[in-house]
Amino acid sequence: MSSGTIFARKELVDLRRDRVVLLLLGCLALAIIVSVTVASLDFRAQLADYHAYVQQLIESGSTVTPTVPRLFPLQLLRAGIEYLEIIGALFAIIIGYATIARERSRGTLELLMTREVGRFSFAGGKLMGIGAFWLIVVMGLSLVATATMAVVGTAHISPGDLVRVGIAGVFAWLYLMFWSGLALALTGWFKRPTTALIVALVLWLIFVLIVPQIGDTMDPDNQVPGGLFAALQIQKSDELAVLAHFARFDSLRNGLEVSSISKLYERITFAFLGIKDKYNQQSLAFVWADMYHYVIAVFAMTTAAMGLALASGNRRSILRKAS
Amino acid sequence: MSEFRAVVAHEILANRRSRAPQLLIGVFVGMVAVSAVIGWITTNTVSGVYDQIRANGLTSQPNPFTDVSVLYYARNTIIYVVLVGSLMAIALGVESALRDRKAATADLVLSRPVHPRVLLGGRVGGLATVLGLIVGSGTLVSWISLSLVQGASLSVPLTARLLAFGILTWAFLVGFAAAGVLSGLYLRRETTALLAPFVGWAILAFVLPQLGTALLNPVAQVPRTSGIFHILSYLTNPLSVTEQFKAVSSSLLEGPPGPSPFPAVALIVAFSAAMTIAMLATPLRRIRGGIDV
Repeated sequence: MSSGTIFARKELVDLRRDRVVLLLLGCLALAIIVSVTVASLDFRAQLADYHAYVQQLIESGSTVTPTVPRLFPLQLLRAGIEYLEIIGALFAIIIGYATIARERSRGTLELLMTREVGRFSFAGGKLMGIGAFWLIVVMGLSLVATATMAVVGTAHISPGDLVRVGIAGVFAWLYLMFWSGLALALTGWFKRPTTALIVALVLWLIFVLIVPQIGDTMDPDNQVPGGLFAALQIQKSDELAVLAHFARFDSLRNGLEVSSISKLYERITFAFLGIKDKYNQQSLAFVWADMYHYVIAVFAMTTAAMGLALASGNRRSILRKAS
Repeated sequence: MSEFRAVVAHEILANRRSRAPQLLIGVFVGMVAVSAVIGWITTNTVSGVYDQIRANGLTSQPNPFTDVSVLYYARNTIIYVVLVGSLMAIALGVESALRDRKAATADLVLSRPVHPRVLLGGRVGGLATVLGLIVGSGTLVSWISLSLVQGASLSVPLTARLLAFGILTWAFLVGFAAAGVLSGLYLRRETTALLAPFVGWAILAFVLPQLGTALLNPVAQVPRTSGIFHILSYLTNPLSVTEQFKAVSSSLLEGPPGPSPFPAVALIVAFSAAMTIAMLATPLRRIRGGIDV
C-alpha cells in the first residue's frame, strides 16, 4: 500500500472518530431535514388555501377555475442547498484545517515524516481521505433530503429527479472539496494554525457572504420586497427591454457574483434542480448549454485549491513550519 | 480600581498587537466604508431603471427612489455588522481568553491581590473599548462617505440617527465578544474554542430565522402568511437577535417604519448583558490553566 493511501485511510479513521465533526454533520443533516419539512408543509398549506378558495368560488356560484398549485419536489431542496452553501462551506474549512492542525497538536507530524514518504504523499493522501469522506457525506445528505421529500413532502420522485439530485451532489462535493483544500493549503502555509483558520474564515466571509450580498443588493429587482418588476406587474419581455439600457451595470453586478464559487455553485445547482423558474422542467441539455461555463469555472477553482494544498502541504514545507 | 484600569489597558494593548483579528477589523471597516458608495450607485441605477419603466409607459406611478434619505445608502452596513462585525467580535473575544490561557498569565495575575471578577470585568471593559473605537471609526467613515455622496454635511437629525445606530451596533457586538471570551474560557481546545461560537452564530443568523440567504438582502422579505412560516417566525423571531438587530437598524436608517423598536432593543441589550454576566460568573478554575492547540 502506498504512503498516500495510508494517509488517506488514517484521515478517514480520524474523521470517523472526531465527535465534533460528527456533531457538525448531524447539525447540517438536521437543518436540511427541517428545511425540506418546512417547505413541504408550506406547500400543503398553499394547497389547503387553494381548496378553500375553490370552495368559496363554488358557493358563490362562480365558474372561474384558478390554477392548481403544482408541487415540483426538487424545489423543496432550495433552503437545504443554501445551508450547504453557507454552513457546509464553514464545516469544510474546519475539516481541511483540522487535517494538519490535528497532527501538529499531537506532535505526530515529525513521527510520520520519519518514514519514507513521497514529496506530495502527505497532502495528496489527506486530500484523498477528505475526498472520500465528503463523498460519503454528500451521498448521505442526498439520501436524507430525497427521503424527506418523499416521506414528509409525499412527493413522487422520478428517476429523472434522482439523476438531478445526483448531479447536484457532484457539484456539492466539488464545492466542499474547494473549501477543504483551501483550508488545508492555508494551514500548511501559516506557522500558527489559528492564523490560518482566521484567514480561511475571512475568505469564507468574503466569497460566501459579502460578494454574493453585494451582487444581490445591486440587483434592481431586489430593491422592493417581492421584486420591483413583480410589484409593478411587468412582463418578462418588458423587464428585459428595460434592463437592456443598463447592460454595463448588470455586467459589473454579474461579474462580481461569478467571482464567488458559492454563487457559481448556487446557480449551477438551482438550474439543474429546476429551483430557478427559468430551468424548471427543462431538459438537462438546455440547462447544460446555459451552465457549462460556470461548471468549467467550478472545476478550475477546485483544482486550483487542491493544487495549492499539494504545494503548501508537501513534506519540506510542513516540517519547516512545524519546527 | 487601578487593577481594573490596568487590565483594560493591557487588553487594548494586546488587541493592538494581535495581527489575525486585525484582518477581520480591516474587512469590517473597509466594508462599512464602501457600503455608502455601493448603496449610492445601486439606488441611482434603480432610480434610472424606474425612470425607464415610466418612459416605456409600463407604469404611471411616481419614482419612489428619487426622494430617499441619504442614510438609505448606508443600509448595507446593517448586513456587514451582522456578517462581519459579529464574527470580528467573536474572534476578538476568543483571542482575548486564549491569549492569557496559552501564556498562563492569568495564574500570575491572580497570584496578586486581584479578584477574578476584576480581571474578567477589565477584559470585557477592554474589549468594549476596542469595539467602541472600531464602531466609532466605522460611524465616522460612514458619516464622511454619506456627506461626500450628498455633497454636504449630514444634518443634525441624520447624524443623531447614525450615532444611535452606532451605539446599537456597539451593544450588539459586545454581546458577541463576551460570547467569544466565554468560549475561550470554557473549551479545552483552541480550535474548538474558536469554532464553537462561529457555528453558534451561523445557526443564529441563518437557520433560526429560516431564511437561508435571504439574510443577505437588506430589503425586507414579503411576510409568509401560510401556517408553518407564520408559526415558525412567531416562535423563532423573538429569539433571533440578528433579525431583531436588522429590524431596528432598518428603522433607524430610515428604512420602512416598523413596530415599536423597544422590545427588539431590549432583546439586544439583554443578550449582551446575559453574555457578560455569564462571563463574569466564570469559576476561578476555568480562568487558570493552559490549553490544547
